[in-house]
Amino acid sequence: MKKLALLRRRRALLNCAPISRDQLFDRSMRSAVSRAAGSIEFVNQQNFDRALAELVRLIPIPPETAEWFSEKDLGVGSKWTWKKMVRNPAVLAISIAVVVIAGVSVFDVLGRLNDFSGSATARKLLTVAASTRAVVLDPVNTEAGTLSDLFFMKHGLEHYDVPAEFADFQTIGCRVFDDEESRRVAQIWLAENRMQLFLFPAERDPKTGAVLRFPGWRYVHQEGWVGAVTEHSGVCFMAALRGQEKDLEPYISKPTGK
Amino acid sequence: MRRIFSGISRVPDRKQNLPQLYRFCFLMLGDPRKAQEVFHTTLHEAALRAAQGELPKEPFWLFRDARWRCLEASKTDLQPEAIELDEHDLTPEAASQIEHLQPTQLAIWISNAPDPQRSALALFYLGEFDYREILDLAELKLSALSRYLSQGRRQLQAWLDAKHPEPRQV
Repeated sequence: MKKLALLRRRRALLNCAPISRDQLFDRSMRSAVSRAAGSIEFVNQQNFDRALAELVRLIPIPPETAEWFSEKDLGVGSKWTWKKMVRNPAVLAISIAVVVIAGVSVFDVLGRLNDFSGSATARKLLTVAASTRAVVLDPVNTEAGTLSDLFFMKHGLEHYDVPAEFADFQTIGCRVFDDEESRRVAQIWLAENRMQLFLFPAERDPKTGAVLRFPGWRYVHQEGWVGAVTEHSGVCFMAALRGQEKDLEPYISKPTGK
Repeated sequence: MRRIFSGISRVPDRKQNLPQLYRFCFLMLGDPRKAQEVFHTTLHEAALRAAQGELPKEPFWLFRDARWRCLEASKTDLQPEAIELDEHDLTPEAASQIEHLQPTQLAIWISNAPDPQRSALALFYLGEFDYREILDLAELKLSALSRYLSQGRRQLQAWLDAKHPEPRQV
């Protein structure tokens, strides 16, 4: 008796079997369908149902009715695609903005990689070098290394020493001036390759007052000028000329920090 | 208005598919003008309820609502004579016979069936609902739905055989 009821229920389920296999959510339905899957009767039923469902899908939607649907609802076959998403103006605008921001950030990071304490001042002094004429300097014809004593005795500037690499070059002139932040800067003009040397105070930690040191030589660039900067005893030294790093490299015994 | 309806169609249940709702009305009434009328009335009413924050929480309420409107609309129509239709076993050629049919012919055939068979066939051939959902919407038991669908298929096959006889393979 129970078996008969079971068979009847299975038969009933088969009559209601979904047209698409994707709709086999119910376990008892799945079981009934899998048992009947091979039977000709069930195959005929499924083919019949599919053909009718296909016909129903062809029922046209009148335009005035279609107006009630949003585009998304109408697009039964219109699926989400990458192409569509990329063509979306909002997505396009955001993508361009993100690329630009990323580019600027990368450029900024790359720029900062070569930065060191005093690099900003060094760049400003390169601008000074580019605009300086020899006449504004006091004419001094001596070896650059000897000017340390002059800076100390005449201007009270301690440790304004020209490094050994540049100490033997002949000078044309020199001067001491205050920069925008009232720091004392010594400028020396060499006969060698129209090179200019600058000595200026190294940057300090605003809280502790300690000198922000950096090792070896560092390069800075500004408006076609290049400078090689080093720090010693709280004073930065920069050799500057119009050209590229390779023009300065021969003067520096051990270039580092590139 | 349009926004309200796109909102309605995206209520959590997955079956509030508006194009299918129209097709359901069309299958129930067999007449595009009447189907449109019921469809528009259903959505208009729903918009008013949405504005008042009174949207029903039960699933497929738009279809349930439309079904009653369709039954109401066809109450005043001329009713088909209660005759016993021929029934034939389904054949492998049925699919190709159906290819000769127009959607409107099928809709007229279904809309002439007595309810609840009409609702059962219309809901089933939308291909949107599983059998438990149809039982709920058409307020039927499994045995009744099974009988209506099985009988509907056999009657439709007989009609197809009469309309587009296929040479049977021997």
